[in-house]
Order: sequence, then C-alpha cells, then structure tokens
Amino acid sequence: MTGLVSRTLTRAVLLGLVTAACSPRETDVAKASLPKQAVFSVRSGPQSLSAFTRQDATTHLVSLLTQSSLVRINAATQALEPALATTWATDDGLRYVITLRSGVQFSDGVPLTSADVVFSLQAALDPASSFKDSLTWDNRPLRVRAVDAGTVELIFPKPYGPGLRVLDGVPVVPRHKFEGALSRGEFADVWSVTTDPHEIVGLGPFTLTEYRQGERLVFARNPRYYKRDAAGIQLPRLDGLVLQILPDQDAQILSLEAGNTDGSATEIRASDYAVAKRLADTGRVQLIDLGPTLSADGLWINLKPGAFAGDSRASWLQRDELRQAVSLGVDRQQFIDTVFSGAAVPVWGPVSPANRRWFAEPEGQSADRAAARRHLAAIGLADRDGDGFLDDLGTRHARFTILTQKGQSSLERGAGALRDQLRTLGLEVDLRTLDPLALIQRFVSGAGYDAVYFKLIATDTDPASQMDFWTSGGASHVWNLGGADQALPWEREIDKLMSMQVAARDESERVRLFAEVQRVFAAHLPIVYFAAPHQFVAVSSRVTSLTPAITSPQLLWAADTLDIAPR
Amino acid sequence: MTRYLIRRAVFAVALVFIVSSASVWLVRLAPGDFVTQTFGARQSRAESDRQRARLGLDRSPAQYYARWIAGVARFDLGRSFIDGRDVGSVVLERAANTAVLATSALVVATVFGIVFGTLAGARPGRALSRIVGVASLALLSMPPLMLSLLLVFFAARTQWLPVGGMRSALGTNGAGDLLWHLIAPTLALALPMAASFERLQAKAIAETLSQPFVLAARARGLGASRLLWRCVFKPSLRSVASVSGLAIAALFSGSFAVEAVSAWPGLGRLMLDALQARDLNLVGGCALAGSVMLAASTLVADAVLVIVDPRASD
Repeated sequence: MTGLVSRTLTRAVLLGLVTAACSPRETDVAKASLPKQAVFSVRSGPQSLSAFTRQDATTHLVSLLTQSSLVRINAATQALEPALATTWATDDGLRYVITLRSGVQFSDGVPLTSADVVFSLQAALDPASSFKDSLTWDNRPLRVRAVDAGTVELIFPKPYGPGLRVLDGVPVVPRHKFEGALSRGEFADVWSVTTDPHEIVGLGPFTLTEYRQGERLVFARNPRYYKRDAAGIQLPRLDGLVLQILPDQDAQILSLEAGNTDGSATEIRASDYAVAKRLADTGRVQLIDLGPTLSADGLWINLKPGAFAGDSRASWLQRDELRQAVSLGVDRQQFIDTVFSGAAVPVWGPVSPANRRWFAEPEGQSADRAAARRHLAAIGLADRDGDGFLDDLGTRHARFTILTQKGQSSLERGAGALRDQLRTLGLEVDLRTLDPLALIQRFVSGAGYDAVYFKLIATDTDPASQMDFWTSGGASHVWNLGGADQALPWEREIDKLMSMQVAARDESERVRLFAEVQRVFAAHLPIVYFAAPHQFVAVSSRVTSLTPAITSPQLLWAADTLDIAPR
Repeated sequence: MTRYLIRRAVFAVALVFIVSSASVWLVRLAPGDFVTQTFGARQSRAESDRQRARLGLDRSPAQYYARWIAGVARFDLGRSFIDGRDVGSVVLERAANTAVLATSALVVATVFGIVFGTLAGARPGRALSRIVGVASLALLSMPPLMLSLLLVFFAARTQWLPVGGMRSALGTNGAGDLLWHLIAPTLALALPMAASFERLQAKAIAETLSQPFVLAARARGLGASRLLWRCVFKPSLRSVASVSGLAIAALFSGSFAVEAVSAWPGLGRLMLDALQARDLNLVGGCALAGSVMLAASTLVADAVLVIVDPRASD
C-alpha cells in the first residue's frame, strides 16, 4: 500500500511539473494585446479618488488618468500648454481671460461649460481642498467668473509670475456631480475610495471601472475624451489601463520580468538597474535613461539660532565656513562612483541641471581641499595634538553626527561616503540612521540634532512652487525652521528676492532674480549638495509612443498617447 | 473537558484584549505620528496641528486609548487615517484574504506532513524515507520569508507562476485564477510546517509501531497496510494535534511576512501599511482581528487536542 501511495504521489508531482514546463508561457500582459491594455504597477492604493482631498502619488495618478485641467505643464518640455483652455490672455498679469475648448463633454455625456470651471475653482478653494493653499496669496484667494458659456475670467489677488501654471493638476470637475456635496459641506467625502467607480465622471482619457482595494485599479478608454493626435485620431490609443498595487519594489521589478506587468508607474531603483539591463538586452524591456533627477540628496547642519546653546561646538558648527569646507572638501566624482556607481552628475546647489529653465551654472566649482582646510582654519579648527583630527579651541575633536534615513540605500551609502571623505579633512563624523518618521520629526522639531543627510523632493521645476523651501517662514526651510522671526540676514535677502521673483511678469527678469537667489544660497550653503543620480524607467517593449519625463509619473503623465505594438 | 475549554476561552479573550491594546499604546507612544509621516516638512505647523486635532492625535495617549476602546466596545473601530474607510469593513475584507491563505497552507501542510510522515515512519531506512527526511530537514531550516522570496524569484524567472497579488491584473479572475495565485504563497507558508509535521508524525508512527497492541495485531496476522492505517495511524496523530495550536500561531506570523513578499492583500500587508503610516485606528483594528483569529484557531486546536487525547485537559 505504501509503495502504491508513494508511486502515485511521485507520478502526480512529476506530471504537474511536466505539464507546467510544457504549457505555453504566454505572459499576462501579452494575453491582453486585444483589446489594447497596459498594466503598470504602483506601490500603494489611492488615499482618495479625488485630487481635491488627497495629494498622494496614486491619487494624483488616478486624477491624471480620469480628469483634465484648464492647462497643463508638459512634463517632457516643462512648458505650459493648453488643455481644456485653448487660449488665454492678460494685460496686467492679474486678470486672465480664458477661452474654453468647444464641444467637450464629460465622460457621462454632459457638455463642459464655464459654469463647471467656476465651480471647480470654487471647490478648489474649499477649506477641505488640498489646492486651497496654492490658490491663495496673503489670505486672498484667486477669483473666477464666467464671462459666457465658453469663457472664464480669473483674477489673481497679486502679481504672480508663473501665471496659469498654478492651475496645472487642478481638475475641472462636473458641477452636476459635486454641487450638492459642496453645498452640504460634505466635499471632503466626495469620491472617496469607497465611492462606486461608475459614479466618477471626468474629462480625462480614461474612466475608472473597478477598484479592488489592495489589488488593482482598472481603467477603460473614455470615448468622449477631447484630445486627438497629430494625425487627427482620437486619443487615448489604449483601450484600457490597469494599475496593479504591488507595495514591494522587488515584486514590481520581478513582475516586469515575469511579464505580469508592463512596468512601474515610476522610476526603477538603482539596485534594479542590473535586472532591467539584462531584460533590455534580451529585447523584452526598454530601459530609458531620463538623465539626472530634479532633486539631489543634501547635507544640512542645524542652523536654527540657539540650537547649540551651551554646546562648546557652537563657535564653529553653524559657521558658513564649515559648510564651505565640506562642499570644497568632497570630491564629487569619487562620491558619485562610490554611491551611484558613476550614474550621476555633480551638483553644487539645490537646482539640478535637469531643471533646464532655472539652473544657473555655478562659477568655478570644483573640489579644492586646500581651500577647504583654509576655511576650517578660519573658524579655529586645527590639528593641535597631531592625531590627525582637527580640534576646536578647547582642544576637543571637531566632531558632529549626521542623521540619515534607515533603509534608503543611496542615503546610507552617501552618508558613509561623506563620513569617509570628511575624515580625510580631519573632521570626525558619526552616522546615525533613523526610520523616516523619527528622522523627519527630529529635524522638524529643530532641536536635538547636528546635521541631516536627506532628500527633499522637488515636484515642479518652477521655483515659485517651492516657496516653502526658499523662504524663511516656509515649512520646508529645513535648516532653520525657526520661522521668519529668526531668519538670518542672508535668508531675509533670499526672502526679498523670491518675493520679487514670484511677482515679476517678465520671464527674463524672473530668471535673473532666481540666479541671484542661487548665488546667495551658494555663498552661505545652508544645504550642501553633491550629486543628482540618473533616473531610469523600464517598460515592456510592447508599449510604444512613450514620452518619458523627469518628473513622476515618468511615463503615465501622457498616458493618452501610449500605444501597444501589434503582435 | 468543558472547564478546560472555558479556561482556554478566558485566556483567548485576555489575549485579544492585551495584544490589541498594546498595539495601540505602542504605536501611539512611538516617535512621530500620521501627520508627520504623511505631510513631513511640507506643511506649516498650524496646518499640522489642525490635522492632529481632526484625527484626535492632539489628545493624550490615555485619552486616545480610552476613546478607542470605548469604540471597540460598540464594535466601532473608527476610520482609517489614510483613506477614511471604515476600519471594521477593511479589516474584515483583508482578514478573509489572510484566512484563505492560512487555511490553504494549513490544509496543504497537514496533508503533506501527515501522509509523508506516516510513509517515512512506517518504513525507516527505505529510499523514500531518506528522501523525505532530507527534504524535511532542508525545509525546516528555511523560514517562510526566505522560501517565499525563492518562490517569487522562481516564478519570475520561469513565468510558471504569478509573481504576486491575489488575482491577475487582466482577465475574468475566477476561482481558477485565485487558486493559481495561491500556489506560491501557500507553498511558502505550508512547506516548512509540513516538514515539521512530517518529522513529528514519522517519529510518532515509529513509536506507535513498537507498542504491544501493534505487535499483538501483527501476531494475529493483520496485513502491513491495514495495520498502519487502521491501528497505528489514529493514535499517532496526538503529536501533531498537540502542536497544532503553536503551528497556527506560526502560520499567522509567517503569513504576515509572506503577504509582504508576495503582495497578497491580507491582514499582514494591511498591518505593515498601517504601521508605516502610523494609522492608529487601522493598527488597532488589524491587531484586534489578528489576535481574534489567532485566539479562535488556538481554541479550536485545543478542542481538537482534547478530543484526540482527553488527558490534555488535565
């Protein structure tokens, strides 16, 4: 009997293996070539189905796919271009008259009118809206009025140089669907993740047909989408799109390898490059180098006044010369080779060369260790006992701790490379890794830390969208979160320049003023930057008509033009 | 036996209370909160304070806990900070997915472990017994997390199995599709447990075979096969039954790791997301559901053990 059982089991296992091995290995995505559907992975589900209430990456992506705005920033060219608005004009930079595209219908067939635009901007200014702050200046909101069914008038409360760029991503939503909720004060609950997808109406290239929480979002082509391609063929080209939720980045790249997905909605990790390259070499995947990122990892020292009160290091730790020495003392090419395996470009300021419009070439920047040592000597740091470490006037080692994020390999490697290079200057650096939450809490509190090595993400190229970073009262002014009252003199100068820059109407004047901001920043270096890594996307070879961009979502920002190659 | 089961039930209730309460307290007392995690340095302190007040995070940990436990008493687990969903319904949905995975793993582990253990124990020294022994040793030394990584890697390279998720991104997603997606995570969870069941069962079979009542049955001319399956099999199950409570606990803890690797949308994955976001209500709900599942299944295992071996209730 036992022999019979064991023989039967063995045969069953062998049969299973042989069947699996011999079955045609048609991948999930290949099976879907008719109708034309693409599958991309995202790391989390959306926090909402409305960009008015949440701004997480997946909610933003859902909004991009299902909604349209008056204008949009072309992520590839970084320029403003028409969307639902065909033309706009302004005489004084305050009042804009916008002409709407004619014949546009929502996905439920209701025509778009200026009333929808007026309603959408009113909704965007609702206290529960995530767009409220960006559309308000000094507590005065953007005003909007319908001139006629196809024209609206916008009035900015004060001059704003970027103009209509502020409307990029603000969806024009159907008044007939939202009006009741807004008037009842239930705006924040509209289009939540529990809303029936068929209730969601938009002007975007796709409509949401299914949302399985924790699993996937399924989109179908919106047959009423207003856009056509250069040949006059109506977009989108895809019949459908699926966003599969794969929280783990290893699973994302393996899914691409297995043919379960066409790629990730965002860039691949540096550690996935080898796998993607191997797949690209076999012709199954397109590996696209998008060039350097908009954001670089940076090192800042706590500059909040009084942060080192009672600490003997106060005499040198917050001095400009220390940061200048760090910047001059680090060999960026060596740093790039160590941290990014050579796939990065050196940077000397917060504006990366990827930001073509606003990047100001730094003057004469290169590693100069002799100059770095002079800066350190100028703040009283010298090797007084011949042990290879610099000492302060009290003969204590010049020593500080850099905090960085645990589990983020480029940050951990970068902090390690900095420690090693600064050691050769005689600075003794300790490293401490913290989980992201503890790290953010530490530097937001402005107390209890010496220095941080971290990445602050830039989401737009225009500096006006990063006022919270540049100005002293901003929430992302991380090196000194003491507020405008505790601003240092050069920070006040940047405040003034940025205020002029944002208000200037003339583009060249804005560029000039921002170059001046970058010059002041470089003179004081509140954050020292070292390298902007190259960004790569990997996408299945069957996906065509790609328009990759440096900002996220790198491929799906133009999902309406994506296509699937014929088999 | 009744008194024993009542005692175990009281213990189960205490387990649920302690585990879920401790989860809420620990996450509330840990550095940072949902507002810092979600908005970081991107919003003003005033706006952050407004958000904290809206979510009840401006209250002391004791006040927060009191409100949470009062809600639990009314079967109201609150709303998720992340996306505003009702925590009770989210947790139920995800717990059902975890139950599917855990149950299938338990069935596979029990069937494979007991059958191979019986076969190996009945014929020690034979080729099958040796192969099974070596395979069990290898699987026992491999935690579910590592095994699931290996299986996911195998799936990606061969394209024989789906890499992750519970259903295909495209297609009709019927029961066959679910079974197809179950294979890798189920094997990752079940194989190490099957190996441990096999070792226990093989030893129990060998010991039972040397009992006098078996010798007597053999002397009466009972065939080897009938002897094994009719006389030896049932008494030998006591060993596996006695560790089934522990095995179920291991299954749940293992499933949390396997869900993370194989993108299975279960309670473990949800708990991980909730912890990363510091979503207190969701953490509390997941801990509550997880501990209820653990306590209930342990209670069932205790009952099974008492049925197989009434001496266990002493």
